[in-house]
Amino acid sequence: MSELSATHFLLLSAALFIIGMVGVLTRRNVLVIFMCIELMLNAVNVSLIGFAWELHQLTGQVFALFVIAIAAAEAVVGLGIVMALTRRADTVDIDELRQLRE
Amino acid sequence: MSLQVLIFSLLAGVSILGALGVVIARNPVHSAIGLVLSFLNVAAIYLIARAEFLAVVQVIVYAGAVIVLVVFVTMLVHPDDLPEFHGRRPLRVATGLLLGGALLLEVAAAILTRNLSGVPGPWTDQTISLIGGNTRALGQTLYSDYMLAIQLTALLLLAATIGAIVLARPEAVSERVMAARRTLTISLAHPRGLDQPELPPALPLPPDGQVKPAGGGRSIVLARSASEFTEQPAWGEWRTP
Amino acid sequence: MDWQRLLVSYAVGFVLLNVLLGLMAYMTWFERRVLARMQHRVGPNRTGPFGLLQPIADGVKLLAKEDIVPANADRLVFLVAPLLSFALAPLGAAVIPFGETLHLFGLEIPLLVADINVAVLYVLALGSIGVYGIILGGYASGNRYSLLGALRSTAQVISYELVLGLSLVGVFILAGSLSLQDILREQQRALVIGSLTLPNWYILSQPLAFALFLIAAVAETNRAPFDLPEAETELVAGYFTEYSGFRFSFYFLAEYINMIVVSLLAATLFLGGIDGPFVDGVWWLALKALFFLFFYVWLRATLPRFRYDQLMGLAWKVLLPLALLNIGLTGLVRLWGIGAL
Repeated sequence: MSELSATHFLLLSAALFIIGMVGVLTRRNVLVIFMCIELMLNAVNVSLIGFAWELHQLTGQVFALFVIAIAAAEAVVGLGIVMALTRRADTVDIDELRQLRE
Repeated sequence: MSLQVLIFSLLAGVSILGALGVVIARNPVHSAIGLVLSFLNVAAIYLIARAEFLAVVQVIVYAGAVIVLVVFVTMLVHPDDLPEFHGRRPLRVATGLLLGGALLLEVAAAILTRNLSGVPGPWTDQTISLIGGNTRALGQTLYSDYMLAIQLTALLLLAATIGAIVLARPEAVSERVMAARRTLTISLAHPRGLDQPELPPALPLPPDGQVKPAGGGRSIVLARSASEFTEQPAWGEWRTP
Repeated sequence: MDWQRLLVSYAVGFVLLNVLLGLMAYMTWFERRVLARMQHRVGPNRTGPFGLLQPIADGVKLLAKEDIVPANADRLVFLVAPLLSFALAPLGAAVIPFGETLHLFGLEIPLLVADINVAVLYVLALGSIGVYGIILGGYASGNRYSLLGALRSTAQVISYELVLGLSLVGVFILAGSLSLQDILREQQRALVIGSLTLPNWYILSQPLAFALFLIAAVAETNRAPFDLPEAETELVAGYFTEYSGFRFSFYFLAEYINMIVVSLLAATLFLGGIDGPFVDGVWWLALKALFFLFFYVWLRATLPRFRYDQLMGLAWKVLLPLALLNIGLTGLVRLWGIGAL
């Protein structure tokens, strides 16, 4: 572990991903859950770039770029849904948003 | 421990602290600040991995656009409506932490014992500087090997844009009036606190939303929400939805 | 050797930072004087000759004021937000080349702090982080006017950043690089049209991009006529209504530093930077930047403020399609090699 290797990147990635996952599982605010999802996507990027750096490949960076583009698309649609939700139901608490289930 | 590892650990530590801040902070705006902190540090880590273009894209797209939009929406949502994190759902928190801890142990074990490694590619620092930098190398790879993928991404972004426009479009008028009845936001031009139930019932609300003053002249317009008010023409007939 | 280069970079950066801070102080003086002339007034003329000591007097006054934190403010965020705004503002100047490499005492001194190959994107990234100072300041004040200013600013900066970035793509296509040094080097070549020999400045080959960049840059720096976030007639002072003393001055100064950095960037990207007749040098860059700064003041004295829906309509319905059109045209010209500029 004395030299920087992909292992460092992977550990950071795992830590960020799991923090994001715990956030999605425990928080109730739609907006915070949304941020945690972004955090998880970002964690994946970290490991992709770590591998790309270790193996002298650009494929990992290209993948990371696509992940960023898709995260942006997801953000746009997700926030649109949040806006529509607050307009209709006036809440961002996912525990109160259960019309589909009832 | 080399200098590189030291810098990496520093950046990684701050980004993990930021990520913890996202999950722990009660106020969503504080969560967003933690997330930005985390993203900026990750961008610096990309610089260590010689991915300059991605580092900048990370800052511009994630920190500069996505999280700014999240903060924007957070401010549009009324802050009193934001649910609390602590207190009510201890079972869920415990489950989440347990699952997270188990997964962390599992993944850490897998990472630390890994010995499989891929085939090194041609893009060493020398070849990249020969071709003219990370951006150029990435561009050439992107637009030769991943042509179809990038066009599909463009299509996806277009679809997302259209979807967002459809979602953010003003709803049907009946729904808007219903929402206005429920929320009672701004009351404009009403004689005496009609909307507040704790006040003594002063005047019954006329069915057509208009009050004829005793002395004649122009009628006073009652609007129970800002949107209802702005829907009305500045002069002329009161438009009943 | 590496340490030596690093030290030289730090030294250049230190000098640059101090020069910027001094310039920024005198930018306030310049603006007040020019604005006064345009409105048939005299402007500050009591402190020192021509009022030249006015910035110092203002600085002392602002530092001596009480630092007020409102009762229902989000305290920590409220205290940090102006610092964020102020700290990020001068960083953009780090990638702007101020001249050829100097050779002094056997040392190579490049007259720019950092030559990174994504320099222009770096400046754009700083701009997109800089908006946090405004949003968080407006949010943390716990005041409706501040929040409205912050919301307006967010929407405005996101929209105009898009235009700013896309307007530069034409320049990238022509220069084939994102590094400001390469872009500058491309512009130092001669452009020959028939018997005319012109400098290859991108204002000549990319006039549309230049116009778009200029408009978007004014909106990015929240200056008149796009100063809706701080529109004093409707929002008191927008996001910095609740600020006082040196925190207020941080916002104020950040705005002026941003203006200077954007002017330097515009001069480097479109007007050939240090390139000029007779002797190339930093004086040409200063002259061009001064022109842009004068233009800022001129706009403020001339144009009334936009209405909010006009502002967004302008960005999304006019400027963005024009920027895309410019990219398409530049791409076609580059592809078919017309003129081979």
